[in-house]
Amino acid sequence: MTLRLMTIVVGMAGVLWSTTPFAHGQKATEVFIPIGQSPGVSYKLTIVGTIERIDPQTRTIAGAAPAGPWSANVTPRTKIWLDRSKLRLTNQKGAFADLRTGLLVEVKYEDPAGRVQGKGPAEWVKVEVPGSGRAGYRETVSGRSRP
Amino acid sequence: MSPPPPDPRAKLIARGQAIFFNETFNGNGRTCGTCHPTENNFVLDPAIIATLPSTDPLFVAEFNPDLKENFENPRLMREFGLILENLDGFDDLANTFVMRGVPHVLALTTSVNSPQGPRTGWSGDGAPGDGALRSFAVGAVIQHFTKTLNRIPGVDFRLPTEPELDALEAFMLSLGRQQDLSLPLTLKGTVPQRGQEIFLDNRLGKCNLCHVNAGATANFGGGSLGNANFNTGVENLPDQPADLSRQRVPPDDGFGIPGNGTFNTPPLVEAADTGPFFHNNAVETIEGAVAFYDGEAFNNSPSGRALAGTDPNGVGIRLDATQVVAVAAFLRVLNALENIRQAIDLLEASLAGDSGRLKALLRRAVRETEDSVQVLEGGGLHPEAVAHLRQASRLTDKAARSWLFKRKLTRDAIREQEKARAFLVGSSPAAPRTATGGRS
Repeated sequence: MTLRLMTIVVGMAGVLWSTTPFAHGQKATEVFIPIGQSPGVSYKLTIVGTIERIDPQTRTIAGAAPAGPWSANVTPRTKIWLDRSKLRLTNQKGAFADLRTGLLVEVKYEDPAGRVQGKGPAEWVKVEVPGSGRAGYRETVSGRSRP
Repeated sequence: MSPPPPDPRAKLIARGQAIFFNETFNGNGRTCGTCHPTENNFVLDPAIIATLPSTDPLFVAEFNPDLKENFENPRLMREFGLILENLDGFDDLANTFVMRGVPHVLALTTSVNSPQGPRTGWSGDGAPGDGALRSFAVGAVIQHFTKTLNRIPGVDFRLPTEPELDALEAFMLSLGRQQDLSLPLTLKGTVPQRGQEIFLDNRLGKCNLCHVNAGATANFGGGSLGNANFNTGVENLPDQPADLSRQRVPPDDGFGIPGNGTFNTPPLVEAADTGPFFHNNAVETIEGAVAFYDGEAFNNSPSGRALAGTDPNGVGIRLDATQVVAVAAFLRVLNALENIRQAIDLLEASLAGDSGRLKALLRRAVRETEDSVQVLEGGGLHPEAVAHLRQASRLTDKAARSWLFKRKLTRDAIREQEKARAFLVGSSPAAPRTATGGRS
């Protein structure tokens, strides 16, 4: 490889890798996809299960799924989405407070290995908002679910 | 004798085609084909938009009260072929959106893959879920097919099923070229020949670094990098048509949320007849698109500066008007060759196919031929080839109408296509069958 060629390789590769993170799906529409229906992701790269324990100190949720016990850290980067599609309402952004024991969630880990290990920081968490009378949820004026 | 039954792959592609053009997913009436019309090389431009009736679902924002605000901008759609997308989220529909052109879906086999994962759409992140081409339709339905801005699955639309996604992916991957060219070709025209030299010259045109073999993959000398994203400064172009309209057009930050300013590299073989160009339809002609790389917006961009950093004279890309036209002429000839290849494929398929599809195949062959005429004439290139292409078009049209001489007329049309091709390119061991010799 000539010096000039090497310069091109290093220079252009630098601009390529410094500006382009790993390809990922369009997060913007992900919010509208119900639990378990994300194409190429649900059940392959995610865990779908019920929340059994919540630790607000460590911001960790945990539960059991067919594959075994799991836990997930909810970090400041983690997106939380309220799946209200069964109520025929628009899905929305949520917060850690919206994660409650007994609710069905889908967790996608930041690292794909997280699913295998059943633990790790979550990239996103979808939580199913049940109908009125279940798990103490009710609709507020703004449409945001509150306990 | 009846034709042999189609193989499973062909059946899957046919099912995908039917879904692409007919399936509304219980939404607002749009299909994938609404924005990717086959009769216009799967792109939307103001010319084809002007031919559509006001009731076409493309214009749903003009007649559906639920979609009147914050779903499309009808003026920008009709004037510049721009579509509204909420790529950075749906929290503030009035202010957070981008206006983008519709990319063609040809040669996806050659352009989607990268070592970092699949890249779809103008910024490479157009699909939800795993980001794959197969998942693209899910995001498209949510964004473009909804009956209301509530976007509730099962109410405003239904999401595509897994078998539907499989079929759509198979159909999209079947469109256009299935492999990249192998440049250089033995071109016959003086100007296109020079254009090819400039294109391949890493000290002058430098085009082949990011568009290897006029495709959509990059190679800076250390091996193929697959399809890549770059910030080429298109957003910094002055006097962009949409901005001149005084409509609200927020900056487009490209890949990711928030975006990093990079956009996806499209293949160039199909470029000349799929304009307008760039993610925001900022440039109308292929000559203008090549000239962009000679301008300040590109040369001051991260990619332009990186290119200059590797140049002994500190130059990004500097081309004179004759050189810009030469590169564009080269791209026009590549496009015409691809159209000829496709037209011959369609004509041959009509000879082998069942009578039910015959007329449709011949009509598509006519469209491809008209495209090659338009692409060559637009650059004042190869008038002899254009004459043969016109004759091929006439013969194909006659074949579509004829009962008695369909096969003879079709074979004559193939011969005219081959004669036209012989004026553009010579046979060479370096030139693959996809460029010069027929089917992929």
